[in-house]
Formats: sequence, C-alpha cells, structure tokens
Amino acid sequence: MLARSCLRSTRAFAGARNGAINFSKRAASSSSGSAAEQSPLGLNIAAVASTAVAAGSIAWYYHLYGPTAHAMTPAEEGLHPTKYPWVHQEWFKTFDHQALRRGFQVYREVCASCHSLSRVPYRSLVGTIMTVDEAKALAEENEYDTEPNEQGEIEKRPGKLSDYLPAPYKNDEAARFANNGALPPDLSLIVKARHGGCDYIFSLLTGYPDEPPAGAQVGAGLNFNPYFPGTGIAMARVLYDGLVEYEDETPASTSQMAKDVVEFLNWAAEPEMDDRKRMGMKVLVVTSVLFALSVWVKRYKWSWLKTRKLVYDPPQASNTRH
Amino acid sequence: MAPLATASRTLVARTSSTLLRPAVSARAISTSPALRDASSTFENPFKGERKSEKVPDFSKYMARNPSSVNQVFSYFMVGAMGAISAAGAKSTIQEFLKNMSASADVLAMAKVEVDLSSIPEGKNVIIKWRGKPVFIRHRTAAEIEEANKVNIQSLRDPQADSDRVKKPEWLVMLGVCTHLGCVPIGEAGDFGGWFCPCHGSHYDISGRIRKGPAPLNLEIPAYDFPEENKLVIG
Amino acid sequence: MAVPVRPIYDFLFRKNYSMLGVVFVSAFAFEMFYDTTMNKVWDNINRGRQWKDIRHKYAQEEE
Repeated sequence: MLARSCLRSTRAFAGARNGAINFSKRAASSSSGSAAEQSPLGLNIAAVASTAVAAGSIAWYYHLYGPTAHAMTPAEEGLHPTKYPWVHQEWFKTFDHQALRRGFQVYREVCASCHSLSRVPYRSLVGTIMTVDEAKALAEENEYDTEPNEQGEIEKRPGKLSDYLPAPYKNDEAARFANNGALPPDLSLIVKARHGGCDYIFSLLTGYPDEPPAGAQVGAGLNFNPYFPGTGIAMARVLYDGLVEYEDETPASTSQMAKDVVEFLNWAAEPEMDDRKRMGMKVLVVTSVLFALSVWVKRYKWSWLKTRKLVYDPPQASNTRH
Repeated sequence: MAPLATASRTLVARTSSTLLRPAVSARAISTSPALRDASSTFENPFKGERKSEKVPDFSKYMARNPSSVNQVFSYFMVGAMGAISAAGAKSTIQEFLKNMSASADVLAMAKVEVDLSSIPEGKNVIIKWRGKPVFIRHRTAAEIEEANKVNIQSLRDPQADSDRVKKPEWLVMLGVCTHLGCVPIGEAGDFGGWFCPCHGSHYDISGRIRKGPAPLNLEIPAYDFPEENKLVIG
Repeated sequence: MAVPVRPIYDFLFRKNYSMLGVVFVSAFAFEMFYDTTMNKVWDNINRGRQWKDIRHKYAQEEE
C-alpha cells in the first residue's frame, strides 16, 4: 500500500512538473504580469517543493489513519450462510401453510423446550395454521394467571385464544440458569433479528459438523458451528432425521425440519406477509397502469404546444416604413 | 408580424385539436404557399418569400380516426386516469383509517366467555371485562317476580326488568356505581340487590337505583348467549 | 368503428358534472372489479399454498 502510494505520488509529481513548465511557458508568453520576470528554474523548484509537501502530508495522514483496523477475525464473524431459493420469499408468493403447520409442530416438539415464542398469540394461529377448535384445544393445555379475585389471590385458568404462547422458563434468569448461563433467545422475531434471516437460521440448524475441524478451539459446554458468530454456540445440534413424525407424512429429514421451522419462524416474525404481498401486487399493477396513462395524458395535454411553430421574421432595412 | 404568428399558431392549434373536421385538416397539411389562396386571411406584409415562413408538414401527426372517436378516446383516457387515481386514493385513505381502529389484541380481549353451568341459582359472580367488574347473577324465580312487581313509574330511572335482561334468570350488568364509580356490594342494601358502600346507593334485584345519590340504574353491557350455558360479554 | 361514439360522448363526457360523476362511479366499479380480479390472480399464483387450500384437511376431522 505504501509502495503504491509512493508510486502515485511520483506520478503526480511528474504531472505537476509538466504543469509547472506549461504554466511558465504561458506566463512567459503573456505580456502582462510580473510572473514573466521569474526564471523557469525558480518556478520548478517551487512546484517540486509544494508537491513534495502535498505528497508528504498525504503519506503522513495515511500512516496515521490509513490502514483499516479489523476488530473481528473471520471466525468471529461466522461463516456467511448460503443463499437458498426460498419460495416464500419470492415477490408474489405466500407462505406455504402446510409447511407452516409442519414448522409449528417442529417448534412445539423441539424448540419450545428452550425457546419462547412470546409474541405469538393462539388467535393468530387460527386461519393460518390451525382451525379454531384445534387452537382452542391447544390453548387450554396451558394454564394462565387470572386477574386478582376479591381476596387478591391470583388463580390459574385454562388458556384462551387471546393468550400468548407460553414460555418454557419463568424469566431470563431461570432460562440462563437452566442453560449454563446461555440465554435461549425468543424466536418471535429471530428471522428479522439475525443477519441472513432464513438462510442463516437454516444454515445454523443444519450446519453442525460431526466433529469440530482440527485446530478449532471450542469452549467448555459449547458446540462448534461455523455459521454462528464466534463458532462456539451453546445450543447443541437438535435436528436429526426422523426426530418428529409429521402428520402429513412428509419424510422428516433434518433439512426438511429445518426448512419447515425456518418458514414457520419467518411467519412468526412477519405474519402480515401474505396480505402485504397481495397488496403490493395490486399497488404495483395499478401504479404501472397509472404511469402509462399519465404519460399518455401528458403527451395529449402538451400536443398543442409541441406541434406549433412560431415564426419570427425581422423586417429588413429596405422594407421598414418610417 | 403579429398576424402571421397568430395565424400560424391558431392553425397549428387547430391541427392538433381533435375537433378538427376533415376539410379543415386537409388545408392544414399544406405549407405556407397554399395559405395564400383566396380563403386564407393570412398575407405576408413583406416582400419576397423566406423559408422560415413555411409551416412545417404536420400530416404525420394528423389523426386518422374520425374526430369524434378521438374525442371520446381522449376523454376516456383522461377519465380512466382520474378514476384509477380516485380508487387508489380511496383505498389509501381506507387503509390509513383502518389503522385507527382497535388492534387485533385489543379486539381479542374485548370479549369474555363465561361458562354459566358453574353458577348455581341465587349466586353472584364477578368477572373482569375490559378492566371493569361485571356482575352476573343467576336469579331465582322469586327474585324475578320481585323485580317485575315494582311500579316502574315510581323509579328514579324508569326501566322495566324485561328491558334489562335477555334471559330473566341471568342478570348481567357492569358493577360500577353510577354515582361516583365505586363497586357495589352484592346481596346487600334495603332492596335485596346491591349496595354501594361509598355513598349509600341502594340497587334492587334488577340493578335499578332505588335509594341514595346515584342517578341511573347499573349499566348493562352488550352480551349474548351463543349456546346453552355460555355467555359472551362484548 | 361500430361503436356509437356520439351518444357516448354526449351522455358521458359533454357536461363536466356528468363526466365527474362517471369518473367517480367508475372508480368504485373499478375498485370492486380490480380487487376481485387481483384476488383471483393471487389465489391462482399461490394455489395450494394458502390456508384456505388446506383447511378442508383439518376442519373435517373435527366434525
């Protein structure tokens, strides 16, 4: 880098000298001004000196601030996830709700033992993943606090559709205590909250190697995952072939489960996506039609101006009447 | 100079106009020498002929359809743009206004389901609905009769008992005293109904004000019985 | 052109208020037509992916 900048500076130097010569020539040729009295040598020296000062100050500045400091090693950044062709991320595609249903099953049977999904109420499952009766039955499996009764006691009641999915731990401290100090993050917005979104989570879930590569340092109680920033992740590999049994008899391979649960988590983060995309399609079509119409109308309104011709015919001297 | 400019401008303006009749348009196609025929009012006051006076050939731009078709087409295009813009503006405003309505979680909390089979006859149940207590009383036949016997004209806030209940055995009302918003006590007071301990308002078994400072009967929320032994408030 | 152009013009566009009325009425008609058409197109693009396409599998089990 320094060598290159030196090279550049000499080039700039040469150019400056040429410029100086030109300038001196021009100055000599013009008759006015006191510059003509200076000798070309003096001008050359001045140019060389000022160029040297400029190049030197640039070099000094670069020496001080130039080289980029990388705070993190590539291992600390984590491996970039592969880009997968998610169908539900295409412009005009909804979620595959069958996959959402499978993904919710994976979440309930696998993820929910550690991760909460606290921003998703049962009522939002109705009409996207389950029927009303299924959701009600699911809600009633869990107990929730009532409002204080007349004695001020808080009792338990079965869940209702307006309740939110229960968390596996009472609070963050309990979660940390149960997991060797590592807090399993809430998964409600995890797709939005992580760089790479769906690709990252899919890569993370399927990216556990059988053994850490040679030379990799894995801390106590941690597992090696190249996609996780820092490569040491407290969560162990959880998805294995055949771990859950899908009700629609889809083969439950590791990647199938990971794909389904990622799509489900994307739904949890963006439950409005289907409606949003449908509205977006309508808006795009209508605005493109409007644009075409407005181009036509503009041409129509301007046509009288664009097709006229103004003639200015100045009177000739012989024709002027006095 | 003025007549020339005016003449050429009007001529061209009429060329572009869709109202132009075919006969007129034929003239417009011709260049300036043709303008000097008898029908033209244009006359160059200057001698000699110059290139700049020649009106360009606009025949390329001439409408090929009859003028009335073009006219309707133009109006249709302008009108279509207006209509689609109006539809877009309408749905934009509609979507913004939708934002002001209650959100889904509020709406989900706005209804409370009560299982009535667990409430025995002659018992009060208080539940919370939108942060307010709601009294549900399973009235006995004697209480219903008592509520109906009252001379309505003698009441401060005249209301028949049948106007206050959907099923006579179930009395559902907001447990907020209409005086200053205390919560009355059940099965108390001079009239066998509710008694507000704050300022001593007495309500009867239909929740009507009988004695004390309160001006109105206890309020009735919107409720419904979607099926037997099930009450939905809200 | 077989379209009766003159009556269309006289009836719809000649008076400003009638044109305005036509524009507003057609805006409503257009919106309804457009919404239903686009919803159909949307359902066609996403056939088999939406909840209403798979609901029958689960709703019938309840009854």
